[in-house]
Amino acid sequence: MMTLEDYLAQDARLYPDKAAAICGAETCSYRELYERVKVRAADFSDRRGQVVLFRASQTIDFLVDYFAIHMAGAVAAPLERDTPVDVYEKLSQKLTSCTIPEGIADVLYTTGTTGHSKGVMISHRTIIADAENLIQGQGFSHELVFIINGPLNHIGSLSKVFPVIILGATLNIIEGMKDINRFFEALDYPAQKMATFFVPANVRILTQFSADKLASYAEKIDFIECGGAPLPHSDMLELCRLLPKTRLYNTYASTETGIISTYNYNDGRCLVGCLGKPMPHSRIIISPEGHISCQGDTLMSGYIGEPELTATVLRNDTVYMADLGSIDDEGMLHIGGRQDDVINVGGYKVAPTEVEDAALLLSGVKDCICISAQHPITGNALKLLVVMPDGEQLNKRKLALHLRERLEFYKVPMLYEQVEAIERTYNGKLNRKYYREQTD
Amino acid sequence: MKEEIRTLLEDLLPLVDFDSDFLFSELNSLDVTTILMSLSDKYGIKLEATDATPKNLKTLDSIVALVERKLQEKQA
Repeated sequence: MMTLEDYLAQDARLYPDKAAAICGAETCSYRELYERVKVRAADFSDRRGQVVLFRASQTIDFLVDYFAIHMAGAVAAPLERDTPVDVYEKLSQKLTSCTIPEGIADVLYTTGTTGHSKGVMISHRTIIADAENLIQGQGFSHELVFIINGPLNHIGSLSKVFPVIILGATLNIIEGMKDINRFFEALDYPAQKMATFFVPANVRILTQFSADKLASYAEKIDFIECGGAPLPHSDMLELCRLLPKTRLYNTYASTETGIISTYNYNDGRCLVGCLGKPMPHSRIIISPEGHISCQGDTLMSGYIGEPELTATVLRNDTVYMADLGSIDDEGMLHIGGRQDDVINVGGYKVAPTEVEDAALLLSGVKDCICISAQHPITGNALKLLVVMPDGEQLNKRKLALHLRERLEFYKVPMLYEQVEAIERTYNGKLNRKYYREQTD
Repeated sequence: MKEEIRTLLEDLLPLVDFDSDFLFSELNSLDVTTILMSLSDKYGIKLEATDATPKNLKTLDSIVALVERKLQEKQA
């Protein structure tokens, strides 16, 4: 089996002068990229068989490090670039005692299906299967320029690197969607076909504040994949109106399952909650209780250093999800809600207990609960309800900064409210169901 | 107007230091969108995502100047 790095070497031979990656003013050809990776791999020569932790960045250097770690026979573990130092050090320490199975390429950290941050082991075989799924399911091509606007340690963006390298296409990496002008500049790149990946918040930003400008690129945008969290139907319809010829995909994917199914909702029907048919390397099974489980070559190899936890999710070559779903007469997956406490915010999955534990460390916070609340941009957002001692007022900024020092950015709630008391169940546990029903 | 905008934005974005001279670098895409949405709602002005440049969002003063400019355009 060829690895991603074998394909990179092949690209360097077949298309040496073609742009492999663009990042701002920097363009790196396939020849240059491969040479940089070979040189950098020497720096990791003593790490063969080990996990190399490094901070992700929206740069060509990130790609060089990522491929170089693989080329050196090590395992790449990219973290959020703003991962707090103590979290980084704890992970680093934990990894020294972990056994890594043969064939593992990456460890990607996610809250995922278990509700706690875990390192998901991804094999070289999985990377190729994800790539082939995307090529066949969404029509990636050699001529394509794919704009990466999300963090490269997240499967949503990282997985798009795989088909691009296999096909010798081009990546254009931008620093998020904060400065929309950079996104439109990336779309101005002289190419026939452009594509990108959006989380729902990206779609809302563009349809709300740049609809006409986005529509002016309608002929050029070959496809857009939306993932991470369900896209509101109104946003789906608006994108279809603005980009009538563009393939617009909703995808079922997670770090644990890989890229499973995809649906082009710009098909005249624009079906809500539909995530399409399984891709060539994937199979979907719905249990009698309605839970989704997945099989195929895109599945993870397990959680690093957590065999017992792995067994709760991955058994008999099947990943069991917390998502509820059904398969229609056409064989397409339709997704319902989740049956656990994990909150999905803009594509990031957050365990509320982690937020609550961090909040309770702040002096003065007597009790709290982290819930999902409606938000005009992201669809939903984390909200922290806080009980303070009698007569004390909640200082939102102080609490937010306290949490920011201890948690990744996406785990810090956007909304805060001081309340008299937190609802609890008869046995004293936080009554999450009560708050879910309030939100619904 | 400056204090009104500060109060509005600090309430929505408690993590952001609106006294910063390098405000844009502190913001993420959600923060930027929140600023655009809240200001367009509050002042009835038409803001585009392309207005969210590093220059226009460099400081609280530059945000105020952006709102004032858009209000003038609206009246013209």
